[in-house]
Amino acid sequence: MTIGQSGSAVLFWLGLASLAACAEPALAQDWLTTPATLVGGRIVLAGDASVTFGSGDEGFFNYTNYESSTLRRIRAGLAARVVAGSRLSLLAELRAETGSHVEPYAWYARVQPWPDRSFVVQAGRIPPVFGAYGRRAYPQDNPLIGDPLAYQYLTSIRYDAVPASADELLRMRGRGWLASYSVGNPTPAPGLPVVSALRWNTGIQARVGWRAVEASAAWTMGSLSHPLVKPEHGTGQVSGRMAITPVVGLAIGVSVARGPYLSKDVLDAGPSAGTGPSLRQQSLGTDLEFSRGRWLVRGEAIVNSWSVPALSAPRIEAPLAMTAAFIEGRYRLRPGFYLAGRLDRLAFEQISGSAGPVPWEAGVSRVELASGYSLTRHLIVKACYQYNQRDGGRIRRSHLAAAQWLFWF
Amino acid sequence: MRRPPTRTRIVGLAVAVLTTVAAAPHHALRLEAAAAGVLRGRVDIKRAQVVVEPRPSVSSVGTTGPQRATESRPAVVYLESAPRGAFEREETRAVMNQQDQTFVPHVLAITAGTTVEFPNSDPYFHNVFSLSRTQPFDLGRYAAGRSRSVRFDHPGVVQVFCDIHSHMSAYILVFAHRYFAVTDAQGRYRIGNVPPGTYTLVAWHEGSVRDTRQVRVADTGEPVETDFTVR
Repeated sequence: MTIGQSGSAVLFWLGLASLAACAEPALAQDWLTTPATLVGGRIVLAGDASVTFGSGDEGFFNYTNYESSTLRRIRAGLAARVVAGSRLSLLAELRAETGSHVEPYAWYARVQPWPDRSFVVQAGRIPPVFGAYGRRAYPQDNPLIGDPLAYQYLTSIRYDAVPASADELLRMRGRGWLASYSVGNPTPAPGLPVVSALRWNTGIQARVGWRAVEASAAWTMGSLSHPLVKPEHGTGQVSGRMAITPVVGLAIGVSVARGPYLSKDVLDAGPSAGTGPSLRQQSLGTDLEFSRGRWLVRGEAIVNSWSVPALSAPRIEAPLAMTAAFIEGRYRLRPGFYLAGRLDRLAFEQISGSAGPVPWEAGVSRVELASGYSLTRHLIVKACYQYNQRDGGRIRRSHLAAAQWLFWF
Repeated sequence: MRRPPTRTRIVGLAVAVLTTVAAAPHHALRLEAAAAGVLRGRVDIKRAQVVVEPRPSVSSVGTTGPQRATESRPAVVYLESAPRGAFEREETRAVMNQQDQTFVPHVLAITAGTTVEFPNSDPYFHNVFSLSRTQPFDLGRYAAGRSRSVRFDHPGVVQVFCDIHSHMSAYILVFAHRYFAVTDAQGRYRIGNVPPGTYTLVAWHEGSVRDTRQVRVADTGEPVETDFTVR
């Protein structure tokens, strides 16, 4: 069942409307202005809904691991925080979007042992500590419509199948939308993004802040590219981020992550050339945010690699390395109206196939320009133009456009 | 007590009244000879204190800054139409602070021509803006200790927000005359120097006109007591 077809989606929308209608009377009089609350302020609600319609993406540049395009989707989310005391709160978000069930995107407990200190522990299905984009509230905090390539573009790496040789991997260049390999699940299926922005891991994390420095660390069951709700491996991913705010308005972060991404089935199916614990995704990232006046600039760079078993000749001897980087900016021209743009690039290291050294996946570049206008504070319309270019695959260039209607409360 | 109409109509009415008040000659009164009176009373706001929680963000890896703020949400009482001669513009200044992710005061009533300062007293950015038709503005992001200002030249209701902290909100009511008062912590108000005559007294609260009363200020200038109840 997917949204638009399922009864669960209808129930979700009805539930969202009912909760809004049941909000505290004093706040309900102006529930868009102040957050909607229930039970004397102990339950705080927020939600959003967006409809995006754009060009057909025949090159699958914007497709996600929900098998739908970010330029053509309907999406709704309802978040709640239950305040159980000064030290404990429970947070959850239900989300429905094109191509997916209504599902709990996040659910976790937040513990603040010392309410007056900046030390927080969260456990459950938690936000990623790696990078910065994965923690942005999508609709309001994304001035554009598309996601950055690192957080959305489907590479030819799969979690449930691996190539037997370098040549088999190279045959899938530019075909991350529907990759297939001989080891593991033989059914063609979408590959993995570098970091999944649509699914979160289950695990535990801690954050501590001191003056201009904050540090966070997490242990989770899956990896950045393949988050897991249930344990599938004997080990999990360890990730961390340290950030510094030298002056107000400038934040610089460094992140690391290392964890298993292959499913147990493919590890069991793989011959002796690879062992589970050594087949990991490893990532090192840096992020930056600068804002002042009407400007907001953000950027991230990620150096990432996936280890795959070296099975047949020509063998894949080294981890499959790649680099992702994007920079985006937003400028508010006048009240309620802004312009935004993003430059984005995925570049892949070379491996040696029968025909010589070749990047193991086709590099991708994207330029996206957008503008947004607030019809009211809670109703925003956006429009974007996107140019995508890929170094391989059937379709190498595409000019796309999309418009988005977004409501939030 | 008159039953309040729908919110939209009320807000529209309020704006219309505030913006047309200067053109109300039939309320011309004897400004010169008679003693000025005082309008006073109390607005009983059933929920004057509101606990404002930030919107839940599951994306946060823990939080910093205040989580819960108790805002005092006073009412504003004003004359729907004011005496002739009461519309001279004053070059005054007012302040709406940003402190602990709260606008202080939550309601500010000013006369047209007033410049409002918006100092940032928090150790992080705020971005004050308004999409109100009366006076749209966007002050951009600025840090602690800095202040930016807006001059309000047109009467009306201006709803103010922070672009970074979505739970922050405030109201600025811009009047074409000086016959208005913001209620104090006990809900009391006092409008002084009102020339004798018959007026419509309005109680406004959180974006809506909640009640209106006809009042008469006698030639003797005796205080007129009028109470309102806002639910």
